[in-house]
Amino acid sequence: MECKDYRDQFTALLTDSIHQKERNEIENHLAGCAACREDFEAARKIWDLMGEIPQPEPSPSMRTSFEVMLNNFKEETVVKRNPVGEWINRLREYWSLQAQPRLAFSLLLVAAGLIGGYLLHQPGQSAISYNKQIDTLTSQVSQMKEVMMLTLLNDPSASQRMRAVSYTDEISSVDLKVIGALFTTLNGDPNVNVRLATLDALVKLADEPKVREGLVRSIDLQESPLMQTAIADAMVKLQEKSSVEPLQKLLGKKGLNQMVKVNIEKSIQKLI
Amino acid sequence: MKQIKHQRLETISDNALMLKVKNGDIDKMGLLYERYNRQLYRFLFNMTRQKELSEDMVQNIFLRMLKYPDGFMGFGEFKTWMYHIARNAVYDHFRKVKRTPAHYDLTNLEERIEGDQNSDARLEKEQELKTLETALDKLTDENRELLILCRFQELKYHEIAKILNTTEGAIKVRVHRALNQLKTNYLKIEN
Repeated sequence: MECKDYRDQFTALLTDSIHQKERNEIENHLAGCAACREDFEAARKIWDLMGEIPQPEPSPSMRTSFEVMLNNFKEETVVKRNPVGEWINRLREYWSLQAQPRLAFSLLLVAAGLIGGYLLHQPGQSAISYNKQIDTLTSQVSQMKEVMMLTLLNDPSASQRMRAVSYTDEISSVDLKVIGALFTTLNGDPNVNVRLATLDALVKLADEPKVREGLVRSIDLQESPLMQTAIADAMVKLQEKSSVEPLQKLLGKKGLNQMVKVNIEKSIQKLI
Repeated sequence: MKQIKHQRLETISDNALMLKVKNGDIDKMGLLYERYNRQLYRFLFNMTRQKELSEDMVQNIFLRMLKYPDGFMGFGEFKTWMYHIARNAVYDHFRKVKRTPAHYDLTNLEERIEGDQNSDARLEKEQELKTLETALDKLTDENRELLILCRFQELKYHEIAKILNTTEGAIKVRVHRALNQLKTNYLKIEN
């Protein structure tokens, strides 16, 4: 290596930025080269002198103003970052200070008022939906009554069967299943009161042609004088001309009650 | 307990602290200030030679780090980022004032040198330092900055390389040239 190469390393030597091996090589060269030694000493003098330049301390006020600046910045960012969040925090604070149940109750009142106002504001809509709900409920109740009626008609207790028959009025649309069940009761129930009630119920349903037909056919099947009179009265009430023939047939029946016979004859006369 | 917490905070790296600041723990900037305010102030003072200006710049640099923490990605060192911002502040200032050759405040220098007021040794040293500061002032801003970072800030070549976005080898050559230039300036003034 030439002197120039060593001199290029002088600063690195001063800043302690070279490996031990290189350092040794440079120091060996310096020991033997007066020109380089002089050059290096000049550099080192400057380097050392730089180290003697007094370095100033910042004034105490710098720290104070830093702290002020930091605090200002913190406050600014809190406000800037989230005004909504700030409000929520304030509410939370207020919440924790107030008697919580009281505040909750007043909030509940406000909420109830709002909901009420909303409902009142749209009367049309809510009335429609209300009616819809009522309709649905009504049809559900009617279906339930039908099921209950069909079940109760088979009940051993006569009063329960009476109740079942009375449900007929409350069933909105009487279907064939119900009518069939009523006729079974009318023709076969052991209790005359149940049969009478059933007759009343069926007369109310006489708009249905099948009910009329059934009633006419039933004349022949009635054994009880009460029922015979009642059914004859019903035929007059309904003005069912097709019932004349079975009624006359009934007159020819053996052991017919005298009172019943008179009644039936009157009925036939009214029907003709 | 307090002591344990204190110790823990002291061992937290600059980067970890700055990431906390970035995530909203603004008070942690106070710890970074503790670590770097003197070093930063001296860098700025050596560059500008103005006390008040340097103090203002320190505030502005910390404020800037608070306002724009996204500039710190957490990959490099906090110190490197801080010097980037500081250098920008210095060079912005230089551009604004179209820097006239800095005057040494002689009284200021005299105040700063310790020793007996009128001893020969003190006067001689004072003269030498005055010459050196004049020689430093005659350097280009870039060369002066290199020597300030290397000698006054005592940064290693690889650290300076990161701050100036260059390689360690390039810094080694440039510092050597800057010191040679300073030596030449010094000898010229002395004679």
